[in-house]
Amino acid sequence: MRRLPILLLLSALFIGCSSIDCPVENVVSVQYEVRDKDGAALALTDSLSVVTTQANGKNVLLNITTRNGDQTVLLNRLIGKSSFSLPISYSHPEDILYFCFTDSVKTVVDTVWIKKEDIPHFESVDCSAAFFHNLTDVRFTRNAIDSLVLKNTFVDYDASTVHFYLYPKSSH
Amino acid sequence: MVLASQSASAQLKFFTLQKDSIPVFRGFAVSFDLVGLASMYLSDYGQYEAALRINLHDEWFPIFELGYGKAEHEDDPVTLIRYETAAPYFRIGIDKNLLNQKHGPYRLYAGLRYGFTKYKVDLSRDDLLDPVWFWETSFGVKDEPCSYHWLEVGLGVDAKVFGPFHLGWSVRYKRRIACNEGVIGKTWYVPGFGISDRDALGGTFNVIIDI
Repeated sequence: MRRLPILLLLSALFIGCSSIDCPVENVVSVQYEVRDKDGAALALTDSLSVVTTQANGKNVLLNITTRNGDQTVLLNRLIGKSSFSLPISYSHPEDILYFCFTDSVKTVVDTVWIKKEDIPHFESVDCSAAFFHNLTDVRFTRNAIDSLVLKNTFVDYDASTVHFYLYPKSSH
Repeated sequence: MVLASQSASAQLKFFTLQKDSIPVFRGFAVSFDLVGLASMYLSDYGQYEAALRINLHDEWFPIFELGYGKAEHEDDPVTLIRYETAAPYFRIGIDKNLLNQKHGPYRLYAGLRYGFTKYKVDLSRDDLLDPVWFWETSFGVKDEPCSYHWLEVGLGVDAKVFGPFHLGWSVRYKRRIACNEGVIGKTWYVPGFGISDRDALGGTFNVIIDI
């Protein structure tokens, strides 16, 4: 029984410990991969900018982040990359994005409508609120985009999952 | 061969009751946990918990623990998240008195428990502003049904104070074995388990009365 005080002290120490475990990778974004007709990765030859309309009606450029993470390129003029990520709205049934392909002469714009279901995601009261998403449908105009294929529907913290394959027309 | 025989004999001895003049059935004890109660008043969560323990020859103690866990986390100053849940839970298991002097005033327990709770979660955060689109959006769920199964192993001590009154501590390692935490992905306080995770540590300080 002489070990009893030590046991009690250890148990009190264990009970007193606590920690906050919020995920380090906590950005929810949609991953795009640019592909050619043969399905191989294709580096963009035209610069790509993506614009959306905010709640106040203002059109703003979206930040595009390259998926390899070594640099962050402001949306304006993403070029020479074959993959990128775009933000997704927290809670709105449909995001409307304008993909602007610019070469040395002109800018061609395609509108993309992404329908989704928004799922509140909770880790702990100590971690920021987040939304995960289930992409349900995509529509787009075909001025510069040949096809936009929904590959994986669930959007969460996982930045390694590609959600869309973007096939630009051969001239872009 | 001799070693295997000795090991089997030791295992058999662990599970069999000592032979003496003391009867096998030694009565019941009820206990109340003060750690969960203190937690309830000192923090945002805690539980009221009582247990009924059967004494078999001062060696084996089948036990049933019943509690009511509650969390009310109001408007976290950083994340502004509100979290509420309240639900009963139970554990069922057995303790073994490890001391050689089984019938003395002290006991050292090793125990195993299975725990279960079915609970509902209210979670909300007002005025969540989308940082890109600037839409204000509501965040949360109401009455989200969840359930949790877990196992506990623990060590405990029990000392007779006077008459039928005992005091005891226990420290427990809890391991989740199955759960349903609803559409939100994860819950926070789980009645009877504590903060939701794959595993957790917990403890009790019990006031025990032999009946």
